Amino acid sequence: MHRLVLACAGSLLLYGLLFAFVLDRPLTLGALRARIEANLARGAAIEGRKLVIIAGSNGPYSHRCELIEARIGIPCVNAGVAVGVGLDYLFARWQALLHPGDIVYLPLEEAQYGRRRAMAELGPDASIMLRHDRGTLAGMPWHRQLAALFAGDLRGAVMSVIETALVRDGFQDPRAAATGTFNAWGDHVGHTAAIGAANQPTLATFTPFHPTGAEVVSGYGTAEVARFLDWARQHGVRTIGGLPTGFADSPIRPGALAAIEGLYRTHGAAFLTLPNLSRYPRAAFFDTADHLNEVAQIRHSEAVAKRLAEMLADRSMLTAQMH
Amino acid sequence: MLFPSPVFLIGFLPVTLAGFLVINRFACRGAALAWLVAASLAFYGWWNPWHLPLLAGSILVNHAIVGRIRASACPRRWLVAGLALNLGLLGWFKYADFLLHIARPAAPSLGIILPLAISFFTFQQVMFLVDAARDPAQPRPALLSYAAFVTFFPHLIAGPIVRPSEIIPQLTRDSRFDPDGLTEGLLTFLLGLARKCVLADLFGGFADTGFDAAAAGHDLTLFEAWYATLSYALQIYFDFAGYSDMALGLARMFGIRFPLNFDSPYQARNISEFWRRWHITLGAFLRDYLYIPLGGNRRRHAVNLMATMLLAGLWHGAGWNFVLWGGLHGAMLALHAQYRRLFRPLPARVGQALTLLAVILAWVPFRAATAAASWRMLEGLAGLNGIALPRMIVSAMPPLAIIADPVSVMPSLGDARTLSFPEITACLALGWFIVLCLPNIHRMSLAARHWALTSGFALSVQAVFFAPHVAPFLYFRF
Repeated sequence: MHRLVLACAGSLLLYGLLFAFVLDRPLTLGALRARIEANLARGAAIEGRKLVIIAGSNGPYSHRCELIEARIGIPCVNAGVAVGVGLDYLFARWQALLHPGDIVYLPLEEAQYGRRRAMAELGPDASIMLRHDRGTLAGMPWHRQLAALFAGDLRGAVMSVIETALVRDGFQDPRAAATGTFNAWGDHVGHTAAIGAANQPTLATFTPFHPTGAEVVSGYGTAEVARFLDWARQHGVRTIGGLPTGFADSPIRPGALAAIEGLYRTHGAAFLTLPNLSRYPRAAFFDTADHLNEVAQIRHSEAVAKRLAEMLADRSMLTAQMH
Repeated sequence: MLFPSPVFLIGFLPVTLAGFLVINRFACRGAALAWLVAASLAFYGWWNPWHLPLLAGSILVNHAIVGRIRASACPRRWLVAGLALNLGLLGWFKYADFLLHIARPAAPSLGIILPLAISFFTFQQVMFLVDAARDPAQPRPALLSYAAFVTFFPHLIAGPIVRPSEIIPQLTRDSRFDPDGLTEGLLTFLLGLARKCVLADLFGGFADTGFDAAAAGHDLTLFEAWYATLSYALQIYFDFAGYSDMALGLARMFGIRFPLNFDSPYQARNISEFWRRWHITLGAFLRDYLYIPLGGNRRRHAVNLMATMLLAGLWHGAGWNFVLWGGLHGAMLALHAQYRRLFRPLPARVGQALTLLAVILAWVPFRAATAAASWRMLEGLAGLNGIALPRMIVSAMPPLAIIADPVSVMPSLGDARTLSFPEITACLALGWFIVLCLPNIHRMSLAARHWALTSGFALSVQAVFFAPHVAPFLYFRF
């Protein structure tokens, strides 16, 4: 029996060492990490008041900070990365850079609210923290640390070998250049309707996921957002909830909409809604149900900027939130 | 309750094993068996307690019929009645809808819920009846021993299909705690767990993408079709091998030795050998209780083989795809028997390659959702929808452009990402290396088994306790 126990213990030790210190995914996780760090670097470089947009990938694809900054006169960082990146990780990284008077706009994807804890804890950020950001991981609850330790699987190990070899060979993802790039604000640019035309047949038949109101209320993401909103209120950071972009013919369920808005309002945040509830025709989307094409991104950002300006000018809203 | 689930691993198994060992040590064997039956019924009822009366009733009735077989002057009549009852029950639950739709395609579904493991416990009890009729002198086991044999949770859900005469004496024998057996059983169980959770589920994801695309009407290019088919062949191999190893290991922890059920079948050099290595206990059942009674190889050999394999196909599921799969294997077995009579055996490597190719191609109708999806997959395998390769591969090896169209992504391959092609290629190479070049765990040295555990245990922990989803066993459907 002792040999069996030794084999099991050896396996756990080997696994931990490999995933924490040896295996890496420089192309996939590396790209996410580079985005997160670039956004944080921009946020750190801004002196004074700033607007930070935190969301999944509808943040950079459907919002343009460059334009919003120009409209409202406040430096802006588009800090949305990908829907799978843990909200607690993003919040933990940004909390260090947020100061009284800063504004955080959160047009989070619906899935981010209703996600279960097991899923949320095994997102790409778990591997990023374990391999490259153990300082942030050390500040996380024990169950999050444990999940990060066990975030790697066989597929991840195989991919890490492939990605490391490709990076050593100077490989560049051919799709990255073909579908646009990120600007200095963190916005995705160049994802034109012409390039996105190839995705229209898929988008025409795609059925988006919409959680129910009960799923939003009981979701792990909802609890994380609530904690962040409370922290922000205590630290003088103004928070504004919002809606993600989506198909006009596939609206957010009324119960979920009410639950999302209620979450922000009950935790002292404002909530930004546009007359169209951020819904657009399928033809306005680029490659997924969350990503507007560039023209629609600009149009949506104009509308968001106008509404944000109105809200920021409303002193009564600001005062109400600070208390 | 699934073997690779936290509730089984940290709840049911330790409690059941500890209870069994303690009762066996301080009370009597009968009390330990009663504990085992109760625990096994709880294990069975976890999924759907409404099917417990069916299982319990089936055990009581079959035990009573064996009593009648032994006591009656016309045991054959009781045997026929017992077989009709068992097969009738199986037929109603598993095949009523299928047969109804053959007779009346437009008829609404009967909505019958298939009781878990009915195919397995029916066959176990058919064996019991037939063995009793064949050897009336053998004493009938006590009801408790018989119930423990049928319900014994390691084999209740998905086999192996074991003979009562092999297992009941082991269950009833007074035995002391065997620490070596416990260690050996735990090692086998953990290695099986790794095969199921780490390997089978990995390849299952790749296979699903391709077969789902075929079912949705998409045309698959050569590599998409081959990668999905090769992935499915590995998924079902590791799924079944993993389950069999877990069942063997669990039984061993309770001091019971199950027969080997799986012996590297993809290393077989011909199709007959494949069936001596794949689901060995089902093969033995079909041989002893169907093929030989039909006449075996004494008369109408090919017909007997075909009938046996068609029924084997139907046993796997009530669908024409399973019948076709059984028919293909029946035809291959008949062809091989004929070939063996007329020609010398092929060189081992050639035989193995041909057998493997035939078995892999036969998995296509077995896995595909519809006949149209099977056909679409076979078109892809034949290259009729063209050959596509990622642009990065064609750029690295320009001569490939002669045969393959460079594309940015292959939509029916893995996650359809830029790197899906090298990812699945590497995983398939690893999987087929394990299958074709390494011995199975029952033929490994103890040291090699410990090394295998070192490489897989942590990944199993990850899959069971941390991965958001673990797929159920494929054989649960059968």
